[in-house]
Amino acid sequence: MKGCDCCGEPAIARVREPNRHFCATHFTGFFEDRVGRTIRDDNMIKPGDRIALALSGGKDSRALILVLSHLLPVWENVHLVAITIDEGIEGYRDETVRAARELTAILGIEHHTVSFEDLFGNNLDTLLVGREREACTVCGIIRKKALTVAAEQYSATKIATGHNLDDEAQSVLMNTLRGDLPRFVRDAAQENPYFIPRIKPLSLTPEKEIAIYLMVNNAWNVLPECPYTRFALRAEVRGMLTKLEYRYPGTMLHLIETKKKIGRYCAGAQVSEPIRRCRECGDPCSADLCQVCQLRHSLGR
Amino acid sequence: MNIILPDNSGRTVDPAPRTIEQVLMELGINPIEVIVSVNGKLVPEDVIVSGNDEIRIVRVAHGG
Repeated sequence: MKGCDCCGEPAIARVREPNRHFCATHFTGFFEDRVGRTIRDDNMIKPGDRIALALSGGKDSRALILVLSHLLPVWENVHLVAITIDEGIEGYRDETVRAARELTAILGIEHHTVSFEDLFGNNLDTLLVGREREACTVCGIIRKKALTVAAEQYSATKIATGHNLDDEAQSVLMNTLRGDLPRFVRDAAQENPYFIPRIKPLSLTPEKEIAIYLMVNNAWNVLPECPYTRFALRAEVRGMLTKLEYRYPGTMLHLIETKKKIGRYCAGAQVSEPIRRCRECGDPCSADLCQVCQLRHSLGR
Repeated sequence: MNIILPDNSGRTVDPAPRTIEQVLMELGINPIEVIVSVNGKLVPEDVIVSGNDEIRIVRVAHGG
């Protein structure tokens, strides 16, 4: 049996980079310290912030709300409000929405649910008939809009999402494969008069460690995976990256560091179209029509 | 050794002592993608298992 590097108690987890073993207590401490450091290093949270936390009910957002609720006393006058976007995905979303509701009730955190049906008149399953391969793209565009609408409604100064290290590394690789430089260097956390800044406190936290954190803190639920996942390029990139990460520990972190370096080199350069207003709905965007209006047209709505 | 796979199906493997990591690789499972418990307790993947150990493998589901 392996012992915890901090106290010698039986270890429940091994962190690979750097190689360390932790018991449940010290793993929780290590996990929360790293999230706190990520927040501090990137100035993610300021006193007085009202943070709209995107709470899907899945493991990443559950871990995010748990760790932020533990770290909250450190920041002066910071308020959390959890927002769950219900896309209406059959056999998937109901369970996760329920999980989100239960967790916020236990933590005593304000919680609101916003549905695709309420905002756009249809759920995702209906919108995607015959377009399953575009599921993640369509869902991503509408969820982003739904989250923005809800965050504005509840007066948020920041939007926090549960994107983890694996997600971020996958995005770097996907944007490289697509040749999408603007998206590659985009930093949604930057203050911007058009958008509520988005912060990702778990962006340096591996996905596996998030699951361990939930398990040792009795917050693990076996929830279904989104049924549209298999259609996405991301699924293939995920498999490639986990293979590389296993053989070459630190690969994902290096990808994130590379993105940050390239972002610094591109600072001040015009790598994307300047922000303007959508000619139909008035939302800020980098084209004549915003992505939501473009999608509406392509769906014939 | 008895293994409970992520889909809850069971398998029996050679009881010779080796690390969980080695068992996972034999099953074609990437240790980065799963969490493992042995006899009901969460353990790191460099722990040695053998004999009548019961190993449960849980896949870290994506999306969240």
